[in-house]
Amino acid sequence: MLLEVRDLHVEFHTRDGVAKAVNGVNYSVDSGETLAVLGESGSGKSVTAQAIMGILDMPPGKISGGEILFQGQDLLKLKEEERRKVRGAKMAMIFQDALSSLNPVLSVGEQLGEMFVVHKGMSKKDARAQAVELMDRVRIPAAKERVGQYPHQFSGGMRQRIMIAMALALEPELIIADEPTTALDVTVQAQVMDLLAELQREYNMGLILITHDLGVVADVADNIAVMYAGRIVEKAPVHEIYKAPAHPYTRGLLDSIPRLDQKGQELYAIKGLPPNLLAIPPGCAFNPRCPMAQDVCRTDVPPLYEVTESPAPRSSACHFWKECLHG
Amino acid sequence: MADLSKNDEAVAAALDVPVQRGEPILQVRNLQKHFPLTQGILFKKQVGAVKAVDGVSFDLYQGETLGIVGESGCGKSTVAKLLMNLERATAGEVFYKGQDITKLSGRALKAVRRNIQMVFQDPYTSLNPRMTVGDIIGETFDIHPEVAPKGERRRKVQELLDVVGLNPEYINRYPHQFSGGQRQRIGIARGLALNPEIIICDEPVSALDVSVQAQVINLMEKLQDEFNLSYIFIAHDLSIVRHISDRVGVMYLGKLAEIGTDSEIYDHPTHPYTQALLSAVPVPDPQARANRDRIILTGDVPSPANPPSGCRFRTRCWKAQEKCSTEMPVLAIPERFRGQDTLAAHESACHFAEERDVVHAS
Repeated sequence: MLLEVRDLHVEFHTRDGVAKAVNGVNYSVDSGETLAVLGESGSGKSVTAQAIMGILDMPPGKISGGEILFQGQDLLKLKEEERRKVRGAKMAMIFQDALSSLNPVLSVGEQLGEMFVVHKGMSKKDARAQAVELMDRVRIPAAKERVGQYPHQFSGGMRQRIMIAMALALEPELIIADEPTTALDVTVQAQVMDLLAELQREYNMGLILITHDLGVVADVADNIAVMYAGRIVEKAPVHEIYKAPAHPYTRGLLDSIPRLDQKGQELYAIKGLPPNLLAIPPGCAFNPRCPMAQDVCRTDVPPLYEVTESPAPRSSACHFWKECLHG
Repeated sequence: MADLSKNDEAVAAALDVPVQRGEPILQVRNLQKHFPLTQGILFKKQVGAVKAVDGVSFDLYQGETLGIVGESGCGKSTVAKLLMNLERATAGEVFYKGQDITKLSGRALKAVRRNIQMVFQDPYTSLNPRMTVGDIIGETFDIHPEVAPKGERRRKVQELLDVVGLNPEYINRYPHQFSGGQRQRIGIARGLALNPEIIICDEPVSALDVSVQAQVINLMEKLQDEFNLSYIFIAHDLSIVRHISDRVGVMYLGKLAEIGTDSEIYDHPTHPYTQALLSAVPVPDPQARANRDRIILTGDVPSPANPPSGCRFRTRCWKAQEKCSTEMPVLAIPERFRGQDTLAAHESACHFAEERDVVHAS
């Protein structure tokens, strides 16, 4: 297994109290696999990713428990210096907003080349040549001429390609993409997602795709982990989950999005609001919004049950997953 | 001056007459907005123009929802501002009940704005953080006191909160005490306060989480039925636009590429840009992903300061020929479909319009 997150807990100490952002997350990714982490804002999907990358702001953040095993080694036990050697070389991250992730006063060539200078000790000239090659690889036209240009001279889609190039520079084994196409227009989004999927196949990388878009997930993912209030509520292969969700939250999400290919009736709406992380409801965090909630849901936190009826490994954190699967 | 204000009064009075269902309430003709590009600091001289909106025409009927879709920079938000007269049009007309609102000012314009309201995209920046919800919604009555007399305002605001599904007791709360979805409800309540006939919604749900989006969409549909509202619904999310719209217009680089009923546009698109746009939308169905008809466009949208000659889409179009660079296609029912009983017979601005079902292809 390339990456395994075990029972990860992250909390933030704020003026108003302790916000429990991640409450016992378990997931794993293998080489060549795409795992989509799906969730709404505040579900803990990005915080988990930041903890994996080791870029969580601490304080106010604090990893209060768990392990992050990368190729069998617990990253949380490494010294910062050793961690830095992993970051960039072995695992890399692509952020949502390419414009604010790139340095506006350095040319893209310098920023791409920096990776080779710092990690591989190359000369500036060699690094620049490598940068051109990288830009070619992510299909930026006229790479040779554009290597000296600055981020503002590129369009949104091209900037995201530069981010992808930067992530790929040292041929990492794992890429974490946090909402990589959310800021892009649909036609450009399709280009960028295709590129990412192709490069992943070519290098046989593991990919963690963090998103809230059920459409993007269906297009590229192998497996899905759905997060709610800092926990994984359902984990399944992508084909299974769309066919029959085993958690009422997943079902609600799928039912609440309008379809492109049919007009449809009134949309199903999940009632209520996402929970306040300072005061997560007792029992199942989803119970105040759940149409299936019973007394047991208000008192007992559901474990991640194995969905035994599925041919592929699959799990759901719902006491009534069976009813949900068949309902 | 006295004459002019008397004229304004007459116009304002004319605007109070309701329009029947099924009649056009808004007629937009050849609307244009060019933003000047200037050079020099002291002696500014115009060196060009960003043609944000460059000849857009459509009708909005009483009680219907017209969706406008397009990518960023296509001019859809500028159209919204022009319809409110928040930006002065460079050319063209917007007829509301027979009055060209691009030419109005003063009291007549105020009367128009009472009937055409707007809901904005970002519920975080469009509500004043220092005002209570009661003041935010009630402020509209300061500007239009004829709608609610002073003594009744508080009750009226509470009524509005109730209508949009918020607790009327929240009237003294501040925006930061609400979630994104609740804030958008406040924005909608403000839009409804003056009993408008038209509400222009500029990306009203794109800042919201998926589970909250559906709540707001359902609310907007309910309000439309209840108050017989006409919506112009501007968004980049094609699935949501299909869900809520009766008719849909597709914009590209300041022009309408295609316009028709939701089924005409989504099931029988004839403009290559619409087809590419639809095929690029990720569909939440992994079964379909292998055999979908995907059209991946190359390149980016050209700059509206220097749009391509002829058809604006030709630089990214796989069908482009000589004719496309010399002759600008007009928005009309393509000749080959004219008079035919087919859903492909709707207005499309392409020389080589051809039906292609990209959504259902499998």
